Amino acid sequence: MEWSVGEGTGRYTARVSDSEGLLSLSSLNLDGLAVNSPDVSISRANQHGRLRVEIAGASHLAHVAKLGDDWWVHLDGRIHVVRMHEPGSAEDESVEGGLSAPMPGTILEILVKQGQRVREGQALVVMEAMKMEHRIQAPLAGEITKLHYSVGDRVEMGATLVEIGD
Amino acid sequence: MTAGPFSSAPRPFSTVLVANRGEIAVRVLQAARESGLGSVAVYSDADAGSLHVEVADEAVHISGETLADTYLNSEAIISAALSSGADAVHPGYGFLSERSDFASAVADAGLVWIGPPAETISTMGDKISARIQMIKSGVPVIPGEELTVPDGADHLGTLAACAARVGYPLLLKASAGGGGKGMRAVQEPKMLRAEYEAASREASAAFGDGTIYVESLLTGARHIEVQIIADSYGNCIHLNERDCSLQRRHQKVIEESPSPAVDSELRQAMGAAAVKAAESVGYEGAGTVEFLLSSRGKFYFLEMNTRLQVEHPVTEMTTGIDLVLKQFEVAAGLPLGIIQADVGLSGHAIEARVYAEDASRGFLPCVGRLATWKTPQGPGIRVDSGVRQGDAVTIDFDPMLAKLIVHAPTRRAALRRLDTALSNLIALGVTTNIGFLRDVIAHQAFTTGSVTTDFLDSSDISGFSHTEVESTVLVAVACAAQRLGLERAPSDGGLGALDEHTGHPGDPFRTLTRSFP
Repeated sequence: MEWSVGEGTGRYTARVSDSEGLLSLSSLNLDGLAVNSPDVSISRANQHGRLRVEIAGASHLAHVAKLGDDWWVHLDGRIHVVRMHEPGSAEDESVEGGLSAPMPGTILEILVKQGQRVREGQALVVMEAMKMEHRIQAPLAGEITKLHYSVGDRVEMGATLVEIGD
Repeated sequence: MTAGPFSSAPRPFSTVLVANRGEIAVRVLQAARESGLGSVAVYSDADAGSLHVEVADEAVHISGETLADTYLNSEAIISAALSSGADAVHPGYGFLSERSDFASAVADAGLVWIGPPAETISTMGDKISARIQMIKSGVPVIPGEELTVPDGADHLGTLAACAARVGYPLLLKASAGGGGKGMRAVQEPKMLRAEYEAASREASAAFGDGTIYVESLLTGARHIEVQIIADSYGNCIHLNERDCSLQRRHQKVIEESPSPAVDSELRQAMGAAAVKAAESVGYEGAGTVEFLLSSRGKFYFLEMNTRLQVEHPVTEMTTGIDLVLKQFEVAAGLPLGIIQADVGLSGHAIEARVYAEDASRGFLPCVGRLATWKTPQGPGIRVDSGVRQGDAVTIDFDPMLAKLIVHAPTRRAALRRLDTALSNLIALGVTTNIGFLRDVIAHQAFTTGSVTTDFLDSSDISGFSHTEVESTVLVAVACAAQRLGLERAPSDGGLGALDEHTGHPGDPFRTLTRSFP
């Protein structure tokens, strides 16, 4: 299993050792290279969804929950997401910024036509979610090669809206 | 049935229907219960399992796909009131709260309307006529112009001419607006058309009225608003100011009372102007007069909200006055019972709005399921929440999940309390702005009380965030959680979940006695 924290920070692989319920990392790799394992030992806390985390000898309480491939972790007053990946799997489905729907919603307006040349930052599509409008802008200059939706369509998060070629 | 609190009042009522959802519905329904009134909720399909349905004595389903079919459907809401035996209607904020036709329809149906009279709503709720009214009463307004475009006529020429007279940068605002919807800043003439169309469309979708007006955009100003309350005997007082300068895209994020920019002299002046504004339209009930305070210390009338505000709790904390209860009393025809001199200002209160949104991606709304939702508790901490653990957050509604309000003797102490409370607010499963809120209140501009309304939109917020925990530690935690099989255990909050207090499997009736923060 591979793990990532946030975006573009690389993939970790780890080996977990269990000493009578006290878990720690016996080895850790980042993008295939060995890195130092953190000085952490982890055990079940008294309630479900909680872990006792000893970091360099100091005890912390973490709340965890898993949704899909994501482990959500609340630790020291901050919330983080650690994502699980199948070993060797490609980067996430998210296409380079801007051309995919950043949230589920409805297409309100399409400002460009197929074959049209656009400049970087030009507004391409207006969509609406939660009663607010959002503009999808061209991440780079180029020609519109494909428009996938029409006005009024409902789109899922991550759906590719527009394709831009040279 | 025993006599209710208002059974012998001039306009008696015993059961309140709340025409709203989310945290404000919960707040008002609880207030009704506390006052000894019956409470009725309404809900759409998407809200069948929502918290506000659970806290009401009775809940009436309104079927339909869209908001226009449900929470904006005044006919269905009034018939829900009549069929459930409710004899008063509280609109909350948003939805129908500032629709004078709804206020009249409620009254025409023989129900008590918990809000100002319909004529007041139409004068003040329409931002254009409110401006005209304020100019008449001598309350200073921001330079600007109304835009009259007859139906079907070409609007662009009129708009461009109007914009040129007002001058750039300018602000397009929905005449029926509120909550940042239908409001767009225009920096230069070439953006005018696109922004106008977006504003008008947003306004039509949110309020059913796409009328827009043009106002000069004051930069470097603070948003200061004054809470007022008036009864039907001509008594009108103000309950100090709230500073809501921390906004993004004209939506408030953090509000506090008192304002760090207002001294007692300015408070008196703004309070007096707010009371004058309210009295000039014969106001009744709770309302808010919003001002912009320029960098030179001059204030201008912005608009009046003829309803309860999202941020009303900071006023409640610092004055000790329950605004919803006062709304009930005034609606029942009782006198205010307090005079201006009775209104105190105790300590400092701050509210942070917890949104399901990703601050690092332009505050995009986020969806998902709240696998874990644990709210902080303790002295001086109040959580007004519309969600509970296990709830789904969908794109159907506003992304505000809850409001976290703190109260402390001083602003510094309140800030520390807020940071601690935010640290202890555990929301897993949906991306929220909790971390962003912590970063913002730690920012020097905020700690020194010098934030203006353009602060967030003109700052590079990516520079705010700082994470103390190493990625490797987080990987270790996730690996351990996976190894211990924590994902398989019943954390989904559904039936079969272990009850947090008893440790027994969930009982559908158990949740009815759950205590709310």
